[in-house]
Amino acid sequence: MMHEILQTLIPLAHAAEAGAGDVANDSVTALLGIDWKLFIAQLFNFAIVLIVLWRWVFKPLTTKLEQRSTKIEKSIKEAQEIQDQLKGVEQYRKAEIEKIRGEANEIILKAQKTAEANKEEIISEAKKSAERVLEQSKKELASEKSKLLSEVKEEAANLIVAATEKILREKLDPKKDAELIKESLKGLK
Amino acid sequence: MLALPPLAAEAIFNIGSFTVTNTYINSTLTVVLFVIVGFLVKRNVKEVPRGIQNFFESIIELLLGYFDQVTGDRKKSLKFFPLIGSLFLFILVSNWLGILPGVGSIGIHKVVHGELEFIPLFRPANTDLNLTLAMAITGVLLSHIIGIFTIGFFKYFNKFVKLADVWHAFKSKKVMTVFTAFVEVGVGFLEVISEVAKMLSLSLRLFGNIFAGEVLLTVLAGIIAYVIPLPFLALELLVGLIQATVFSLLVLTYITVATMPVHGHSEKAKAH
Repeated sequence: MMHEILQTLIPLAHAAEAGAGDVANDSVTALLGIDWKLFIAQLFNFAIVLIVLWRWVFKPLTTKLEQRSTKIEKSIKEAQEIQDQLKGVEQYRKAEIEKIRGEANEIILKAQKTAEANKEEIISEAKKSAERVLEQSKKELASEKSKLLSEVKEEAANLIVAATEKILREKLDPKKDAELIKESLKGLK
Repeated sequence: MLALPPLAAEAIFNIGSFTVTNTYINSTLTVVLFVIVGFLVKRNVKEVPRGIQNFFESIIELLLGYFDQVTGDRKKSLKFFPLIGSLFLFILVSNWLGILPGVGSIGIHKVVHGELEFIPLFRPANTDLNLTLAMAITGVLLSHIIGIFTIGFFKYFNKFVKLADVWHAFKSKKVMTVFTAFVEVGVGFLEVISEVAKMLSLSLRLFGNIFAGEVLLTVLAGIIAYVIPLPFLALELLVGLIQATVFSLLVLTYITVATMPVHGHSEKAKAH
């Protein structure tokens, strides 16, 4: 193995030495293959690559990248803003609810108070009207009673008249009869 | 006997006076691939990404994450992304295409220097110093241009030739300040040299790594063609990724430093 490698390398080294001797006379630039035509050609090649990559790849892609990152930044900022706003709205809502709740409580209390007052009023009113009704009915009752009494009196008078008539028909003449009636009526009244 | 790939790319055919080399074929294939993929991406860019768009978006996001660590600013990263991202993807894809079977093994026989030689049709694009140098020079020059446009020509110029510093030092009329100013001028001169060194180191690093990988794979395949090269192939995948990252991030560092305010001497020192 080693022997083989050496077998290959030794002639190579000899060749290289010989080559070095050959080119020692030439200039360094010729040895390195510097040639202005080739140089310009290679420069041109590189320029093409530069322009192609610049115009077609780097420029559009970097602008796209920039655009995207600014877009993302904007979106994140907006999301943050929306979140903040949401928080504000939530706070506002809570405060508002709290306020409304207080107001509702107040209203209920007021209603209760008014209801209480109304109740009292209504009750007193009812009492009053009940009293009035009672009074009225008492009055009516009294008048009714007096009416009834007078009616009863009349009826009784008539009855008495009739009864007395019957009893006296036989004993009294009509003249005395009428006098008697008149007398008794006077006494009734 | 097996033939090692030479340092220079090999010529395959000619179009007029232009010699088409095997590395040039590879880099052109990479370009074609990018044009096709780019067209597919461009055709339907949607708000909700799917398939290929999703893939590229994830790559862009990943790269931007790394770039942010260098620039420290997403805006800057996005501004420099076209250049650095293209460098990264182009180097990465052409490196990985170089590992595909057939690269280095499919070829033609041609008479070179009077000898019949086997010449592979495809060779990893970055084993050609022309390409790596082209990218390095583009990167470094663009870093200067961007620097000038960002902080102004005179301020930027003063980074290298510190005339303004000397002028202010003379105006202050303090010996020590003048002395410091002259030291600064020397530093500025070194700065100029380092700019050239940047280009050389960038291009040679990439070229050297990928070329070495190619040589290694060729040698291994020549000795034992089965199983043994597998871990090395995996390693080459890694090297391809690492070299693409190193190249692109270094250029990004240069640009970042170039666009920094002038007073950032200490930061400059750190970046090197």
